Amino acid sequence: MSEQAIELTVVARQAGVRVALARRYVAFGLFEACAGTSEAPLFEPICAARLAKAERLRRDLSLNYAGAVLVCELLDRIEELEAVSRR
Amino acid sequence: MSVGFKDYYEILGVPRDASADDIRRAYRKLARQYHPDINNETGAEERFKEVGEAYEVLSDPEKRERYDRLGDPRSAGAEGPNPADFEDLFGRGGFGSDVRVEFGEGGFSDFFESLFGEGRGRDAGGPLRGRDREAVLDLSLEEALAGGRRRLSLDDGESFEVNIPAGVREGQRIRIGGKGAAGRGGGPPGDLYLLVHLRPHRRFRREGDDLQVDLRVTPWEAALGATVPVPTLSGTAQVKVPAGSSSGRRLRLRGRGLPTRNGERGNVYATVQIAVPKKMSDEERDLFEKLAAASDFDPREGGR
Repeated sequence: MSEQAIELTVVARQAGVRVALARRYVAFGLFEACAGTSEAPLFEPICAARLAKAERLRRDLSLNYAGAVLVCELLDRIEELEAVSRR
Repeated sequence: MSVGFKDYYEILGVPRDASADDIRRAYRKLARQYHPDINNETGAEERFKEVGEAYEVLSDPEKRERYDRLGDPRSAGAEGPNPADFEDLFGRGGFGSDVRVEFGEGGFSDFFESLFGEGRGRDAGGPLRGRDREAVLDLSLEEALAGGRRRLSLDDGESFEVNIPAGVREGQRIRIGGKGAAGRGGGPPGDLYLLVHLRPHRRFRREGDDLQVDLRVTPWEAALGATVPVPTLSGTAQVKVPAGSSSGRRLRLRGRGLPTRNGERGNVYATVQIAVPKKMSDEERDLFEKLAAASDFDPREGGR
């Protein structure tokens, strides 16, 4: 069930944040473009939830951007490991 | 408004004479522990809000002083200070906006409201989309195969209908847009993800996309061969039992199993189980005795 890729402005709007903030997270490697061109990259819709999550963690836990991205990546890994252990 | 006293020091686990550093350290530790994006356990989100509220008050010297003037609830009777007095004591509003913690997903307690009113700054970071939520969706194998509409009730009491696509698989996530936690500062709500869990079936055992079912046959069907009915999720099918089938032989019904990742269907494997009548008529017994006398078949030959 793949959904249509969206522009970063749409990702930012769906996450409820400014586009500049979304660009900053992309620069920190929170998520990558899945299609489009380097001038007009496109992203998976799930990126909006990921962006909002990173920003909530950054604000709530007084993290910097790199720290918020790292926490998201570690949470992903924990989720994967938990999914494996449930099987 | 009936408002229970909240011991913010106890919530943060610090003494009443704790320094600002102690309070900050305790808050950060608890916030990391109970942040709803990190901790999925029941009650973690409520605890996180409580911790944030306590920090909101105790990290601000002016608010802390006002709070401290309420006194220790343990020395003021079981219920603590009279909450009705809070507004008389402190009025409403008038506090600065030095807030780093936001709680758009439910807000602060009535106790906080009665103390500090609505004048607190809550929009330190602008709007933000709410958290995604996840719920387990238990489905029977038949429901997963057919799909359809289903009414869901979440822990918070919200109830709504969702459309389950036909052919969902174990572990698949179904996204329900906008049904996650509320956004902050006017931000959009998150999404709800339904994690499909297939319930065990009384007749079929699931093995990936394939289904296993026991197929009980008579001794003569197993010996002579027969075409017999076998249940599947979408009705009864006919399967050919080859002559000379022993118990344990697996017969395949192609494409009658569960949906696969590429949109096809797995198989049903019917395992032959030879059933013998508990009670036999005289004629049946006689025929079996004749067969025993005439046959030289030994299934244990060669130590098998």
